[in-house]
Amino acid sequence: MATTRISGYRPGLVDLAAGQISREIFVNDEIYREELERVFARAWLFVGHESQIPSPGDFFVSSMGEESVILCRDRAHKVHVFLNSCRHRGMKVCRYDEGNAAVLTCPYHGWSYSTDGRLVGVPYFREAYHGTLDRSAWGLVEVAQSYLYKGTVWATWDPAAPPFLEYLGDFLPYIDLTLDSWDGSDGGTEILCGIQKWRVPCNWKFPAENFSGDSYHNISHRSVDLVGIGPSGSGRRDMPELNMARKLHIAFPERGHQTTSYLLPREAAPPPAYQQSSVVSDYFRECEEARRRKRGDWGRMITLVGETFPNTAYLARQPRTLAAWHPRGAHETEVWRWFLVDKSAPAEVKDFLRDYYIRYSGPGGMTEQDDMENWNYAHSASRGTIARRYPYSYEQGLGAEVENYEWEGFRVPGTVCDLTQAKSSEHNLRNFYRRWAEFMAAGSWDELMHWRRPARAEAAE
Amino acid sequence: MSEPVNIRQIAPGTKIALVDGALAEVVSNPADGVWVFARYLSSPDDPARVGSEDMIFAQDILEIRDSSE
Repeated sequence: MATTRISGYRPGLVDLAAGQISREIFVNDEIYREELERVFARAWLFVGHESQIPSPGDFFVSSMGEESVILCRDRAHKVHVFLNSCRHRGMKVCRYDEGNAAVLTCPYHGWSYSTDGRLVGVPYFREAYHGTLDRSAWGLVEVAQSYLYKGTVWATWDPAAPPFLEYLGDFLPYIDLTLDSWDGSDGGTEILCGIQKWRVPCNWKFPAENFSGDSYHNISHRSVDLVGIGPSGSGRRDMPELNMARKLHIAFPERGHQTTSYLLPREAAPPPAYQQSSVVSDYFRECEEARRRKRGDWGRMITLVGETFPNTAYLARQPRTLAAWHPRGAHETEVWRWFLVDKSAPAEVKDFLRDYYIRYSGPGGMTEQDDMENWNYAHSASRGTIARRYPYSYEQGLGAEVENYEWEGFRVPGTVCDLTQAKSSEHNLRNFYRRWAEFMAAGSWDELMHWRRPARAEAAE
Repeated sequence: MSEPVNIRQIAPGTKIALVDGALAEVVSNPADGVWVFARYLSSPDDPARVGSEDMIFAQDILEIRDSSE
């Protein structure tokens, strides 16, 4: 795999049979430019959370790939996602991170748009344009599709992309484990405070891979474990129930999504947690008992981390966050992290979680600092002419994954690699890159929707 | 030549004279420094606009008039 002259993506850079992936896909600028077109202009991307724009006129400037976009709520309460670029000369229409506006006015020449995207203000419309400019043809560019799911807002530029829920497929219940209230009620989460944004000098796929389920790098968090940043003052988390659970890598090969989750025994009672505050401890004990009653076997599932292809990551508990890995060139990633809490939780619970979350995640979070250091130096040490000749190894657990995994009466959706004894695998990471390679090779969404093919074949007959 | 008007400070109810000779009353102000929403009170060039609301561009505002006018 000596690939020193790569002028763009070529099949073979991702060799899943051998468990090897070329460093070129992380450090090559031309591959990056193709990625923007083939991955980020096609896939469903996480844009923001409805709780950031509760009122008509509220807007939040987000990102899709390298594109700046405006997430806003119009006067009729409908949520929109627009390209943040004036149709006249391309100036950013919104330069604030968030706010409220009756109209979105471009500061360059003054073209102005209503919050539903229509061009409503054109300076010298009658004089300079003689009243002939077709304003209806010059509204803000809107995404091809958008979807609201339990407070989260998603969008894609590609009209041929499948509907959002079909894009997720059987991965949906794992996302619910992050977005539902702690007691198992549908939805009910909100963003805690603002979001954190920072830049890391690495390719966006380093964090995406990490949150797909890199179960091998725990050693790099050893110092955090020793310091004891967890909610009860020891370790990183306060989840003793994981010691009695099956630790699973769960992947969805046709979709590119994956998670590291734990399946609890059928009869396991929730152990005590958050013992430093009786209010917080009582809240979580009651919620956890309710969750297990409501959700049946799904109440036994605890998601640790997950990644929706391509660039949205989850931590479902301790801390409970969403992250987007925004590409800013082949060699830089802008990380945005949203922190979630139950909207109905007591203020003391939210305050407690805020303190814990910022100890753990974000640019000042101790665990995330460990990760950033790894991604940063792995990237820079892979850019050299010599370094990029040598592929990375992704051989852990090759051939060890199973379909129809079942434990104590619960059949787990997805292909599963049981890590309980194996400790680690790279099953999920291979799954991420399999889908990435498919996106890079495919000419259209038609080639990416494998799951529709049997139905098509039947229809043809 | 009139001084430029700082339109961000114009409150609803304020009357404004426009460069084309029209007079309008501000209905709301998004405070973006570029536009105000106003209702035409008179419009010598286009009498049909009287009573209608429109977005008024900052550079089309000549001056602020007394509310008694």
